Amino acid sequence: MIELEAVSTRYGAVPMLREVTLRVGAGELVCLLGPNGAGKTTLFKTVAGLIRPTSGTVRVAGSPDARTERIAALGVGLVPENRRLFPGLTVAQNLCLGYEAVRRERVGFDQGLEDIGRLFPRVLERLDQMAGTLSGGEQAMVALARALIGRPTVLVMDEPSLGLAPKLIREYFRIVEELHARGSTVLLIEQNAGMALRIAQRGYVLSRGSVVADDAAEALRKSSVVRNLYFS
Amino acid sequence: MEQVVQQLINWLALGAITALLAVGFSLLFGVLNVIHFSHGDVALTAPFVAMGVLIALPAAGFGVAIIAAIVLVGFMGVILDWVSIRRFRSAPPMMALVATVALGIVLRELIRLLYPNGSNPHSFPRLFEGTAFTIAGATVSWLVVAMIGCSVLTMFALTLILYRSPLGMRIRAVSQDLEMARLAGIDPNGIFQATFFIASATGAVGGLFTASYVGLMRFDMGIIAGLLGFSAAVIGGLGNMTGAIVGSLVLAGLETLAQAILPDGAAYRLVVAFTLVLVVLVFRPAGLLGRVPVPKV
Ligand SMILES: Nc1ncnc2c1ncn2[C@@H]1O[C@H](COP(=O)(O)OP(=O)(O)OP(=O)(O)O)[C@@H](O)[C@H]1O
Ligand SMILES: [Mg+2]
Repeated sequence: MIELEAVSTRYGAVPMLREVTLRVGAGELVCLLGPNGAGKTTLFKTVAGLIRPTSGTVRVAGSPDARTERIAALGVGLVPENRRLFPGLTVAQNLCLGYEAVRRERVGFDQGLEDIGRLFPRVLERLDQMAGTLSGGEQAMVALARALIGRPTVLVMDEPSLGLAPKLIREYFRIVEELHARGSTVLLIEQNAGMALRIAQRGYVLSRGSVVADDAAEALRKSSVVRNLYFS
Repeated sequence: MEQVVQQLINWLALGAITALLAVGFSLLFGVLNVIHFSHGDVALTAPFVAMGVLIALPAAGFGVAIIAAIVLVGFMGVILDWVSIRRFRSAPPMMALVATVALGIVLRELIRLLYPNGSNPHSFPRLFEGTAFTIAGATVSWLVVAMIGCSVLTMFALTLILYRSPLGMRIRAVSQDLEMARLAGIDPNGIFQATFFIASATGAVGGLFTASYVGLMRFDMGIIAGLLGFSAAVIGGLGNMTGAIVGSLVLAGLETLAQAILPDGAAYRLVVAFTLVLVVLVFRPAGLLGRVPVPKV
């Protein structure tokens, strides 16, 4: 569902991603790990079409090099770094934009709200609150809800658990795991290697723009590469 | 008493026109992050467009010419964005400033060259004739009633569009986080076009009333009208619609007051108005109601 084939990008003259090849098949939950500055967000933006690769191809839901505005409509839910809720819109409006991004119409939004309410009961209590005034934890939940409400088949998330209390992190990962169990394809970008590798099937490790490890989650958990990158 | 009421009416009339221009500056800045310095010039082409339509199609009638001018100026905004302003969206603010100022000069000179006898002032008819009523001895013309009424209605309509419509939700999403809006499937170019149309058409209404109020149109009227509208938006807080309205009323109030109490006050109108702009910029750079300070260019 997501395929990067020898993708390289640069910021001005500075190369960032170097020949990154990454695949997430239908129904897979794959995590992308890497220390600060490794290029994880750059990869997210490349998948979302915000950054054009200098070489290589990006294919999302079968569509090569799709424009950013078209990605969501391909059935892709996006949770960008720092959540990026529209602060001056209400929670309901944020959710509505998330719904229409994927569905391209308003029909069925009320049903979508009901479904979201089952996953995130607390989100429904805050529909009329300005998103900018939500607590960090609430924003994280609304950002996930906004990505999910249109029932995308693919989910791409950039450090969704950042800044959450341990209890909320577990809750968050439980929801992601549940979505995956229901058939969603997930690319989870994370710093929290321990949690991510517990729920993912496969993982990639990015360091200074290159994939330095690519293996089953089980194997990565024991890998010295991961240990060295994170704990040395 | 009669004098006071008359001045109050002048104040509201002036505030109404200023607000029609100021909201455009504010809306465009909020969405594009570009200060569109030629917005006043775009707005003040409206009287020329209206008279031009009348010259080209005398059978159309004045009413049709006015409506046509509002719509055409709306599209003019869209076209100007397309040929020029959109190219400066991510450029340094200084470049956008120079570009939009240059665009204003081009517009003024084009009017001068293309409109018959364009260097000279031309009379512009009153959009509404006659006296509506007298209150405490002061006469209120239908024109002034229409100016205030149209301005209030326009503000009301803009509020509905921005805060109650799907388009408004998208306009605000783009103005709050352009990149996230794109991730949410919103095509920013469509939103920019809609915003330009709304702002320019609103400005056209203000431009038509301005010409009608003073009874004439001149190719360079957009300079002062634009500066006043921009100043009102800055005083209220750029990017904030309520701020633009409040700023317009404050600015118009001060102008009217200067005119009423200073000897030879009319001559000092602009001195007083722009002094207020300076004072606000020094002490409250974000404007009376604003949160975003005017970007340094
Ligand atoms: N717009 C930009 N212009 C220039 N350099 C950039 C730009 N965006 C990111 N970079 C640089 O590219 C590198 C990778 O950034 P990126 O945001 O992809 O890292 P990351 O893996 O997401 O890190 P983190 O875990 O801290 O979020 C960093 O060194 C960053 O400074
Ligand atoms: Mg990052």
